[in-house]
Amino acid sequence: MDGILQRRRLGDWRLWALVPIVLLVGAVSLFTASGESVTGLLGQSAPQPDEFEIRRVEFHPGEIRIRVTNPQQDDLTIASVAVDDAIVPYRVDGNATLSRLRSSTVVVPYDWVQDEPISVGVTSSTGIETTEEIAAAVPTPGVTARAFLGYAIIGALVGILPVALGLLWLPSLRRAAPSWLAAFMALTAGLLTFLALEALAEALELQGALPGALGGPGLVLLGVAASYLALTAISHRFSRGGASASGLALAFLVAIGIGLHNLGEGLAIGSSFALGELALGTFLIVGFMVHNVTEGLGIAAPVAEGRKAAGLATLAALVLVAGAPTIPGAWLGGFVTSDVLGVVFFAAAAGAALQVVFEVIRYVARTAPGGLTSPFVLGGYLAGVLVMYLTGLWSG
Amino acid sequence: MPKSRVTRRALLAGAAPLVAAGPLAKLAFGEDDRLATHLGHDHVHSNLGHAAMIGAEVPAVGGPHDLDELTIPPPALPHQPGRVREYELVAVDRSVEIAPGIEFPAWTYNGTVPGPVIRATEDDLLRVRFTNGGTHPHTIHFHGIHPADMDGVFEIVGPGETFTYEFPARPYGMHLYHCHATPLKKHIHKGLYGAFIVDPPEPRPPAQELVMVMNGFDTDGDGGNNFYTVNGRSFFFAKHPITVSRSRTVRVYLANLTEFDLINSFHLHGDFFRYYPTGRDEPVLFTDTVMQCQGERGIIEIDFANTGLFMFHAHQSEFAELGWMGFFNVVD
Repeated sequence: MDGILQRRRLGDWRLWALVPIVLLVGAVSLFTASGESVTGLLGQSAPQPDEFEIRRVEFHPGEIRIRVTNPQQDDLTIASVAVDDAIVPYRVDGNATLSRLRSSTVVVPYDWVQDEPISVGVTSSTGIETTEEIAAAVPTPGVTARAFLGYAIIGALVGILPVALGLLWLPSLRRAAPSWLAAFMALTAGLLTFLALEALAEALELQGALPGALGGPGLVLLGVAASYLALTAISHRFSRGGASASGLALAFLVAIGIGLHNLGEGLAIGSSFALGELALGTFLIVGFMVHNVTEGLGIAAPVAEGRKAAGLATLAALVLVAGAPTIPGAWLGGFVTSDVLGVVFFAAAAGAALQVVFEVIRYVARTAPGGLTSPFVLGGYLAGVLVMYLTGLWSG
Repeated sequence: MPKSRVTRRALLAGAAPLVAAGPLAKLAFGEDDRLATHLGHDHVHSNLGHAAMIGAEVPAVGGPHDLDELTIPPPALPHQPGRVREYELVAVDRSVEIAPGIEFPAWTYNGTVPGPVIRATEDDLLRVRFTNGGTHPHTIHFHGIHPADMDGVFEIVGPGETFTYEFPARPYGMHLYHCHATPLKKHIHKGLYGAFIVDPPEPRPPAQELVMVMNGFDTDGDGGNNFYTVNGRSFFFAKHPITVSRSRTVRVYLANLTEFDLINSFHLHGDFFRYYPTGRDEPVLFTDTVMQCQGERGIIEIDFANTGLFMFHAHQSEFAELGWMGFFNVVD
């Protein structure tokens, strides 16, 4: 009897929940049916900006391909295309008239000059031109086995290798005194805080460049919150309801946080390279390697804390979780390039890193001799931030 | 930039319907196929980049005879002092297609940019009845010698109003007319201008006559031109070369009404021409390139030495590649 009552009350609750939604639909349809009679009271509204979003510009032999999207409410028609302020013949792969958020590719036969700056402009039928300046025209890597391999090797060099090297601090850490070990755990927290801030800044910057319809700080918050909560759930499972994750479990959490960051980093490297914005010289790759070695150290510290011997397979898994995402990141960036993906990846990395920072801090608070205020912990945390800052100067 | 967009679009939305058609003094010409012919496909070198800017590949609006009214002037009449020449001009807000799919919300005389060619012989009495069918005050300011109250500066003609300009046509030469309401820059670049030819008492030697008004269109309201044309459509004469005869002098009445840019120019390939500044007296130049500032004009006379396709364009490469480029197809 009681159960039935409760279920009925539950049903009532769900039914009642629909009321505001139904009323909202009614109000919206009334408003739209009224046409411009309400907004008309205020005078004429401003016209749409009629600008395209140029998503990607590719350079192939004798050809430029421009991916354009309509970011506004009204339809937009591609009516004229210019390269370096000269009108050029072109064809459109797809529709020349784009409805909201639809994309087409403009194909321009063009004898472009390698390594020189170039601008492309797409003009809508109302005469508004959207231009994109390219710092240097370089051949866009095709989706070939060679290019796949190239991005994979670069990804492994800046992702997997340094993390693996950093993990080799493990034997040394195992022999360290508890207070020193606490210092290294704090260092892990420091460098993850640095990564979280860096990823957040990157996400917000990319978001700022997106057209209003796609971006907004809300997209960043969504990525941060989703990954933070997902990692909280994972951490809860790892610690099996205990106070907080420790040892290997904590090491895996750190690895996930770092891995998400490296996914975004790979995406950034891949797309910058594909778009000719980045001279991917040896110096830059070395910079990323030095920067990321510290990430390996961050994983090694909780493993050492665990006092339980970790097998080679486990260590390899840790390295892959933290380092390997750079490779698919570079592929996505190099072949697809989407600033929206970049925002989501970096926001997710920020959320994950932040969650792991709290996880590590809770662990340190519980285990460190002298607690969170011990000079080893404070010094370790600051050293973590400082090390990331200094090594980051190479890849900046 | 967004501010000028608002202006542009609001005007487009509120543009009055075209009323300039039938009843107006139509500068009509009979069938004339001297002007443009389709270019045979054997001439078309398509595919790679700039090389494609001739023939069917060219992004230009309309068919081969669409610009005949603006390009072929009405015939010169013999000298007959006191004869009345009447024209009727109506200012109309109208969207004109200047490049394929690109609509420019123009202010026009009689629906076109540039406006109609006005032609008289020296000592004719010119009577131009002007009706403002647009949404802003306009005038017509003729270049030439005339009374102060016929100058189109003080007699502002409001929307719906009419004013008749009346004065003897002089001096002979190549002139122009344009709106002189303020802001001047806006009223000119929106399209209110045209060619004004006054023929000398002693007729010029016979020739194939053409009118070319050089102009530009600022489609995004940023104070710089996005398209350049002669007679209002970018690349039109690249798609439809002007057919001329080697055995006949080609006389081009050239004027520059480009706004924003300091100068414009005319360059001929493969030959030279005589240039008469303002269409007066003796030619002062034998050259292949002339430069005109805004409002400057003159007459070009070409006696082609060879047959074939000869390009003409602004010798500012940027203008050429944004639409101010065409071809003469010289035949025997």
